[in-house]
Amino acid sequence: MRVPLWLPFTTSDRRWSLWALLVMLVAALLVTLVWLAGRHEISQVQGALERDTTDAVSDIRSALTRNVQGLQALHAGSPTPGSWAVEAAAQLHEHREWVRLEWRDANLALLAQADTPFLAPVFDRLGRDTAKPDLVLACAAARKFNGPAYSSSYFVPQSDGLGMEVMELCLPLASAGRVTGYVLATYSLQGMLVELIGKRYTRSQEVSFTEADGTRLALHGAVRRGSRVFTAQQLLDLPGNTLVLRMDGWRGAPDLFPNVLTALVTAMSIALVSVVVMLVKDMRRRLKAEHDLADALAFRKAMEDSLVTGLRARDLEGRITYVNPAFCDMVGFSAEELLGHGTPAPYWPPDLADEYQQRQAIRLAGTAPPREGFESVFMRKNGTRFPVLIIEAPLINVLGRQTGWMSAFLDISEQRRVEELSRASQERLQATARLATVGEMASLLSHELNQPLAAIASYATGSLNLLQEVASAPPQAVPETLSDLGMALRRIAEQADRAGKVIKSVHDFVRRREQVREALPPHRLLDAIMPLVSLQARKLQVRVVTHLDQALPNVLCDRTMVEQVLLNLARNAMQAMDQPELRERVLLFRIRRAASTEGNRWLEFAVADIGPGIPDDVARQLFTPFYTTKSEGMGLGLSLCRTVVEQHGGYMDFTPNQPQGTVFRFTLPAGGPGAARASLE
Amino acid sequence: MQPILNATVYIVDDDASVREALAWMLRTRRLLSEAFDSAEAFERLCETPGSGPGMQPACLLLDVRMPGMSGLALFDRLISRGLIEALPVIFLTGHADVPTAVDTVKRGAFDFCEKPFSDNALVDRVEQALAQSARVLATRSEKARLQTRLTELTERERDVMRLVVEGLPNKLIADQLDISVRTVEVHRARVFDKMEVKSAVELANLLRNI
Repeated sequence: MRVPLWLPFTTSDRRWSLWALLVMLVAALLVTLVWLAGRHEISQVQGALERDTTDAVSDIRSALTRNVQGLQALHAGSPTPGSWAVEAAAQLHEHREWVRLEWRDANLALLAQADTPFLAPVFDRLGRDTAKPDLVLACAAARKFNGPAYSSSYFVPQSDGLGMEVMELCLPLASAGRVTGYVLATYSLQGMLVELIGKRYTRSQEVSFTEADGTRLALHGAVRRGSRVFTAQQLLDLPGNTLVLRMDGWRGAPDLFPNVLTALVTAMSIALVSVVVMLVKDMRRRLKAEHDLADALAFRKAMEDSLVTGLRARDLEGRITYVNPAFCDMVGFSAEELLGHGTPAPYWPPDLADEYQQRQAIRLAGTAPPREGFESVFMRKNGTRFPVLIIEAPLINVLGRQTGWMSAFLDISEQRRVEELSRASQERLQATARLATVGEMASLLSHELNQPLAAIASYATGSLNLLQEVASAPPQAVPETLSDLGMALRRIAEQADRAGKVIKSVHDFVRRREQVREALPPHRLLDAIMPLVSLQARKLQVRVVTHLDQALPNVLCDRTMVEQVLLNLARNAMQAMDQPELRERVLLFRIRRAASTEGNRWLEFAVADIGPGIPDDVARQLFTPFYTTKSEGMGLGLSLCRTVVEQHGGYMDFTPNQPQGTVFRFTLPAGGPGAARASLE
Repeated sequence: MQPILNATVYIVDDDASVREALAWMLRTRRLLSEAFDSAEAFERLCETPGSGPGMQPACLLLDVRMPGMSGLALFDRLISRGLIEALPVIFLTGHADVPTAVDTVKRGAFDFCEKPFSDNALVDRVEQALAQSARVLATRSEKARLQTRLTELTERERDVMRLVVEGLPNKLIADQLDISVRTVEVHRARVFDKMEVKSAVELANLLRNI
């Protein structure tokens, strides 16, 4: 835990500052983008407005030119003032921008006039003369240009309290290079804005004529919407006058998304921000998961380190990919020595490596090991061996594919030792119990025999006493003494008879056991004792070999007794081979038909060892009861064995084994029900 | 060894043939016997007042293993009755168990014999036991007689006897008891007479046995 104490601290710090920087940069970028988009939009709107203004100015200019031509057309056919007035009225009908048309002569005297039908006569209130200076100026300019000229605009108050700004157009009429008269048209600036500019400019914008100083002269257009104003101005240069056309466009100022581009950028920014937020959240989740994972990893490691069970993982090629400390302790190799090590593993005993290799091959072929585990023998680094219980399970990765094998190991040498101890004590207990039974039996038997013997001894002693007396007794007492002696001898005979009956009853008791004999396949006898035999064999490192002839008949025997015989002989054989200098230790069981007897009536059982053999002096007394060469032995084993075999009608003997050791043989009767079946098996 | 008169050998054994054989053999040695087939039967005899065991010289041949009360149990009862001095017990057993044998002998059994008893050794032990029994009984009756004689003495005679046994001369005795020398002499003569002794030394020996 040393490293993680400080590491997540700074990494998380740095991580957070990086995140903050990222968020700030993104925000700055977005703000800039939105601002730029706004700017772009403004310039676009402004440009459109400028273009509109220019277009409007050219509209006005061309309309004015057309109007001039229209006015020239009035004089095409040398009109009279009367006819001119009619024509002029017709023209006024079509041109609402005009307020009044006049025909004046070269001295500006009024020849004919016409007022617009759409308004009350404009000059009624003040009279036409107030406009005289403007007319004169305009006409002077017109004569000078020899073309149309405009006066500067002026205000004409109206009877309704309002007024209008008007401007005069003076068109000189020339004939043969001389000015013969003038046509004067009074333009209403308001009318010009309404009539001469396309409707589309005035629908959403305010159009006005202003003077150079910004004073508004005439106004037309939509009412104000929004507070953001875009303004464009354009000079309208007319001969004799210059007007400024101004257009004002409005945009809603508090509009969050002033136009599509900005909206798009903003939407994308929002999306970006939310993605960043999601990323942050995801990051936080990841961090937490990482933390949990680190915790789980630490937990697992602590668990593995604290286990006394050895753990080892191998990949599918059999290379070691993981070992825990308990396993290292068990086998005495360090983790570095084991990791990556293939087969044969360093802890395999060299003589068993082939067997283990086969086992591994089976495992790799996909055969699952038994769930309850199996036992094996491992070798420590120092060469000592110890038994282990191995439990293996396939190692499945996250994709569900097998990547190897995980094995758990239990050192069971202690367990073995305890088993061995408990088995030994169990055996001792059984032996004691048997001994107690034997002792009880002997006590009973001796009591039963002692009673008649005591009586016999008494009578005999008494008789001897009487015989001594007879020598010195008076003759007349002799017959009585003799009858006494006779009685005593009869009693002695009776008691001797009684003792004989006791012996016979014991014999009968032993014979009665014949009734429990059963017919069974001979290998069953070996099967029954094999667990006990192999337990001791494993301890003494003896290899047990069994050799049974084919198609053996059933054996007819007292199963328990014969098993004891076999067990006894096997123990003796293994103990005989328990010599340090004996490297190879083999215990052989062999069952076959006895060769010497006719037919198949007898089976011969042999138990052979390859120990040092039996010395001659021991061999002579081998079957003598209570004769033993073992410190803890009772000396009854072999004599009982022989008794059991003889009760079955068989015989028991032993011969030296070749090249060394001893073979004990005994025979048992074959047959009984099921013998034929057994031989068919 | 001379046969002891009126001596009885009690036999307790569950086996009739053993009882009979023993009784017969003892008879050939001029010994009377009485046989019982169980420990309970023998105990009933002991409970009968004034009878057999403890009154006349006797010994008991006791089988260890019997159905019902065992020989060892009966032996315990006899110890608690205080009988085993006058009635020595010889155990008979078919299978010698050394610790049991040692234990019983320590607790006062006369002997422990193994069946089968081949010769007259058993009978010899029986006679020795009877002799012991007779001796014990004789000592007991002697003591009893002495006690009755002592009870016949008067208070003053007993005082004088005590001082005589201590070896004081008559004059000192008279001084101590504040009586005349003459009176002491009379008492002394009467004590000797009643205790059937002739001298002070004899009297002292007699009293030492009590």
